[in-house]
Amino acid sequence: MIRINDLNRRWKEFTLMDIDLHVNEGEYFVILGPSGAGKTLLLEVIAGFHSPDSGEIFFGRKNITDLPPEKRNVAFVYQNYSLFPHLNVLKNIEFGMRMKGTKDRARIEKIAEYLNISHLLHRNTYTLSGGEKQRIAIARSLVTEPDVMLLDEPLSALDPRAQDTGRKILKKIHTDSRLTVIHVTHDQTEARVMADRIAVMMNGRIVQVDTPEKLFNRPIDDKIAHFLGVENVLKGTVTANDDGVTLIEVDGTIIEAISDYAVGDVVYACLRPENVTLSKMRIKTSARNIFEGEIIESEILGALVRVKMDCGFILNAFVTRQSAEELEVKTGSHFIASFKTTAVHVVL
Amino acid sequence: MKILTITSIFAVLLIVFSGIGCVDNTDNADETQSESGAENFEKTTTETQDIKVLKIFHAGSLSIPFEELEIKFEELHPGVDVQREPSGSAKCVRMITELGREADILASADYNLIPTMMMPDFADWYVAFAKNQIVLAYTDDSKYSDEINQDNWYEILRRPDVVYGFSNPNDDPCGYRSQMVTQLAETYYNDDQIYDDIMAANVAMTASADNDTYLITVPASEAINPNTNKVMVRSMEVELSAALEAGEIDYFYIYRSVAVQHGFKFIELPSQIDLSSIQYADTYKKVQLQMGDGTVVIGTPIVYGVTIPKNAPQPDLAVDFVEFLLGEEGQKVFNENGQPPIVPAITNNLESVPQELVPLLTE
Amino acid sequence: MKKIPSRERLKKAVKADPLMVSFSFLALLLLLFVFLTLSYMIIVQVTSDFPGLIAATKNESVIKSINLSMYAGLLATVASFLVGVPAAYILARKEFFGKHVVESVLDIPVVVPHTVAGIALLTIFGSRGLLGGPLESYIQFRDALPGIVIAMLFVSAPFLTNSAREGFQNIDPRIENAARSLGAPLWKTFLLITLPIASRHLLIGSIMCWARAISEFGAVVMIAYYPMVGPTLIYERFISYGLSESRPIAVLLILVTLTIFIAVRLLSAGWRIYDTD
Repeated sequence: MIRINDLNRRWKEFTLMDIDLHVNEGEYFVILGPSGAGKTLLLEVIAGFHSPDSGEIFFGRKNITDLPPEKRNVAFVYQNYSLFPHLNVLKNIEFGMRMKGTKDRARIEKIAEYLNISHLLHRNTYTLSGGEKQRIAIARSLVTEPDVMLLDEPLSALDPRAQDTGRKILKKIHTDSRLTVIHVTHDQTEARVMADRIAVMMNGRIVQVDTPEKLFNRPIDDKIAHFLGVENVLKGTVTANDDGVTLIEVDGTIIEAISDYAVGDVVYACLRPENVTLSKMRIKTSARNIFEGEIIESEILGALVRVKMDCGFILNAFVTRQSAEELEVKTGSHFIASFKTTAVHVVL
Repeated sequence: MKILTITSIFAVLLIVFSGIGCVDNTDNADETQSESGAENFEKTTTETQDIKVLKIFHAGSLSIPFEELEIKFEELHPGVDVQREPSGSAKCVRMITELGREADILASADYNLIPTMMMPDFADWYVAFAKNQIVLAYTDDSKYSDEINQDNWYEILRRPDVVYGFSNPNDDPCGYRSQMVTQLAETYYNDDQIYDDIMAANVAMTASADNDTYLITVPASEAINPNTNKVMVRSMEVELSAALEAGEIDYFYIYRSVAVQHGFKFIELPSQIDLSSIQYADTYKKVQLQMGDGTVVIGTPIVYGVTIPKNAPQPDLAVDFVEFLLGEEGQKVFNENGQPPIVPAITNNLESVPQELVPLLTE
Repeated sequence: MKKIPSRERLKKAVKADPLMVSFSFLALLLLLFVFLTLSYMIIVQVTSDFPGLIAATKNESVIKSINLSMYAGLLATVASFLVGVPAAYILARKEFFGKHVVESVLDIPVVVPHTVAGIALLTIFGSRGLLGGPLESYIQFRDALPGIVIAMLFVSAPFLTNSAREGFQNIDPRIENAARSLGAPLWKTFLLITLPIASRHLLIGSIMCWARAISEFGAVVMIAYYPMVGPTLIYERFISYGLSESRPIAVLLILVTLTIFIAVRLLSAGWRIYDTD
């Protein structure tokens, strides 16, 4: 659907270098990278706000490299949503239609209902919450029936609760419409949870493109591994929820966490490696999650040692170098890993 | 960095306060002399206590000679700061009579303004001290500048493509004198259409004859309604100099002194009409002009007048300056600037002028 | 609630926020300085010579000159708008070599003495000037309405340009990008999005520009003494007749312009300042 060939662009302190990218029709494609990597610039080049210094962009078979943004039929949603402050919600949503000379009130109402913003249509934009603004920005871009949806950090400006809702909405739209989506973020969890495929971008270059599983399991070099970290993102199914205390089955093992997801939900349990404690034998601890496993890999990272364990699922942990020596951490040895319920962050 | 900041703050404060020092002082000098005396001011300024300010309001056409006199006077009187404010003569007078401004000396381009506008409330006497004459100034770029002379100037001004300027008779003595000169030209050149063609046809001013005297009537300034394709009217004669230099006008009526000081070429008009000569005072008298506010002025030789207003803050210093102005040094300066001094200077009343000036005057 | 004596309250305020209290005092000085100067003149006129003020409102040349000031000021404001808004937009959006020079040049009229500006304009727009010469057979600037407008434009345009620029700078370029990807071409984006969002800044800039134009004397009188604008007439009346004849016109000019400014401010008070979001 979208093909970018050998694209270069330099703008202010940002650079895009030799970008080659292919996004499939209907794909949810995430560009993941640290801030300053040039992700937003790439998105703006695709939208046509910047023209590349060299290289080509194709939508399907059509070369759109020199097409102005208004003729590309892309929807662009910014981190701050960029609603038009002088227009009310309805007029914001209508804007794209007005520009195309069409007026389809029914479609607006349908989309408004779909995004649950029908009650907001006659409000002024400055009275809205972040989540509402996001939904309106999405509605505004959907009414123009775009070929591609470009999302620039669409969730970063929201509080955690609204982020959950936002993620759900984006997923729902994508599932229902099979729209091609390019989503830019610096948040690995977000990328992993949302993406069909992820492109990692660092210092203006695309360094790896892969499915989330492959990417997180097999980063092609240490820089990418370092950026991705070794965060534990464990896919599982909720098997019980007792007033917030949630049991999640991950590869046959049960993890306990706090969340309000219902039984049967497929969720991701996220856990930072520094929150995992290693010990030789079972010790008294308040931690509810205690697993025995075999060390399959260990790597020294400065003052820390990264330990990869197989506890029925793969678990990454950090220990200090000193305790690694004292505990005699090495591949093949068995350890007890424990972490608290509250250390697990569950996302859908 | 820090040192730099502190130093610059210090420097700014220093500049600000040194400025206040000066200003304070002038106030101080003014106020201690006036009845409303300000005792507390005297203590605040100690170092520069002895600097006295001499304030002069004078006609714009006196700017250059007075500037030279200022420098020389300050050399002779260390500790005196002469401050001059040039503007239109009428405005100078009104600043004193209407706006309550105080000046030590008032010098007008028409001595007559002093008796008519300032006496008896603001002055008792005046001294007529220098003369001038009206000329027609031009530059090499002026149309027909190679043809014009004393005999055909009014023919040149009549030509449709020539643009000329004069100042507003209501605002500026040079302005009403320009009207008088044009009217006097009719008799001298024996052509009774000169005023009509040059002035009346282009501005809402009229001339009427009664026996052998003429009365020019000028409406209120806003009603002068000049034909701007042909003539350029400005409040002050000095504003027209810029217009001549810019090529906006070809000729303008101006004092000889101003033309000399600006380096303009000029046509000298016959002394029978150019208001320069006391010899022709009787001829000049035949033209009168009524200004917009009803004031009537009579054609007189152009004579500069000076007075010390009654409310002058520094009357003694003012006398020193007038003495210097009327003396040899002053005469020399005026000669060099094309404004011949009257020697001895003439006063209206020898009894009321300051004693020090009497030897230099005649009644 | 217990009633606190005002002296106590002041003491408390000084203790709580001495900076704001002392700044408020200084601000009050500035306010009084401006307000007293103008209101005193108006009050003196109204109390001591009210018939004079009435007479001024009925005097044809007074009304004519005030009308001319406002009309020429309006033309100058429209002209400032047409050339100043695009300049302001470029300065707000683009970085380019020599931008500081351009900015300084556009601000020069604010610092040049106005009589000097008038003389400079005369040498450009005079009948033998750089532009006035070639244009002589089509348009006359000297002592004519175009000259008045040109002089007003010169001194007042920076007020509009600077305010417009501030307005544009406050608009997130991403809003314009959003409009473009929704199908709006450059021109429509500017007219339908950028301009309306900056409207309050543009309005305030226009009022400032118009006010400056109406009150302009120094530059106007050099290039166009006639036809007389309000400030020139005030000056003329002062020279010919003195304070008693010039003050009623001055007061009238102040009252008329104040009325208009207050009216425009009230009408636009409902407008939101979008760019502070």
